[in-house]
Amino acid sequence: MSEFKSGFFISGEACNGRVLIVDDEPDIRKVVRMTLQKAGYEVLEAENGEKAIETINSGENRLLLDVVICDIRMPKINGVEAIAYFRSNYPHVPLIVLTGFPDTDMAASFLRQGVVDYLVKPVEGEKLRSAVARAMEQRELARL
Amino acid sequence: MDSFAHTKVAILGAGRGGRALLDLLHQIPSIEIVGIADRDPDAPGLQRAREFRIPVTSDAPTLIGAQGVSLIMDVTGDPAMETYLRAHKPPATDILSGSASRLLWELVQHESKLEAELLQAEKLAGIGSFAAGIAHDINNPLQLIMGLAENLAEERNLASVHEQAKDILEAVKRTSAICRDLTRYSRRASPHEDVLVSVNGKLDEALKIARYASSFHDVEMIKDYEPGAAVKGNPDELLHVFVNLITNAVHAMEQVGGTLTLQTQTLDDQVHIRISDTGYGIAQDKIPEIFEPFFTTKAPGKGTGLGLYNVKTIVNKMQGMITVDSTIDQGATFTVTFPRALSAEQGCPS
Repeated sequence: MSEFKSGFFISGEACNGRVLIVDDEPDIRKVVRMTLQKAGYEVLEAENGEKAIETINSGENRLLLDVVICDIRMPKINGVEAIAYFRSNYPHVPLIVLTGFPDTDMAASFLRQGVVDYLVKPVEGEKLRSAVARAMEQRELARL
Repeated sequence: MDSFAHTKVAILGAGRGGRALLDLLHQIPSIEIVGIADRDPDAPGLQRAREFRIPVTSDAPTLIGAQGVSLIMDVTGDPAMETYLRAHKPPATDILSGSASRLLWELVQHESKLEAELLQAEKLAGIGSFAAGIAHDINNPLQLIMGLAENLAEERNLASVHEQAKDILEAVKRTSAICRDLTRYSRRASPHEDVLVSVNGKLDEALKIARYASSFHDVEMIKDYEPGAAVKGNPDELLHVFVNLITNAVHAMEQVGGTLTLQTQTLDDQVHIRISDTGYGIAQDKIPEIFEPFFTTKAPGKGTGLGLYNVKTIVNKMQGMITVDSTIDQGATFTVTFPRALSAEQGCPS
């Protein structure tokens, strides 16, 4: 694993970090998983904001979840609400927005709230991986 | 309103002009059409009159001589008819003929053109609000396509390559279906003659379009369709009616969620279409206003205020009725009733 940095090990394999992808489209979760696993990340999935909050609050994820990638248009708890929850309850976990709808005002407002990146689908694998890598750096800093 | 004497009108000539007059006058409650005459038994106006249950005849002189007719409208375009009319009509009957009836026909044409323009303008204004929905539905499959294509460049396993190529094809088809649905919806309503339209099929088509205009997240759907329910009308205009009503219903449940119920039912030669939501409802005193042009509860720039006005215009044109039943905070039900079209079992082209 050339990209292995300050990671830990999960089931015997090097892991660069644990990432949660929140999107109501199974296809999106599938390609994000595919893209990030190649770079050595462990990927968790949630299909809406409600499930995402459940996931981050369960067991070791409270401590070990490194980055959240979140869609905006979703049922139950949508992205805007989920992100507000993460910012106030897990301020040390960096967030990346991955949305199908480019909206400048919304992007500016998220970035002001401290979201690491606002990515518009379709996003190249390389761009997604580098956004996650930047988010991981922030996460490392928060751990110091 | 019985204190108003009905204006009794007879129409001579059942070509395009006669039929247009019939369509217009039929919608005005104070006008009673006592009959329409044409020598050609297949004239389009005669067919329309039979649908409206208005007496038709090939014998113009009898209609002209009938007592109690307030006005005879001559749209035959035949100078001999005008001469005959003046000589044979009862003294109390007025005549509209020659260039006066020509002018009226042109006004009718003009009005129907304006109506079509208004409909198109409202539709196009509405499509602006589809942007977020369209972006979502196009960019999601694009993300899948991009991710899979990137992966394929390195994929060694042939079975996986096949699997992913298949997923890409499916995603491309899904994306192109979006463009197809939207271009079909956004085009000008084609002026073709009324055809048999499957109500259930149109409701489903409208659902697809309405999904772009409003978020169906947290909306539960109930479909209660009577198989084969069919009406006669312009399929593009009927689609527009359903898109409007479904979009309104879903907007009424935004934020809170709820249940959208689509129901079709055939009862006594009539087809009832009910579109119900469990949203915030409409205040009783507002109900008479909602079909008025430019009435809107949406924020400035969000709605044209022409949606329900156009809905009502189309429904009236199809000899239908629209009613509303609503309780604040419990929801609203819009019921559209049309005369049932026969031979619903087969031959629903649209």
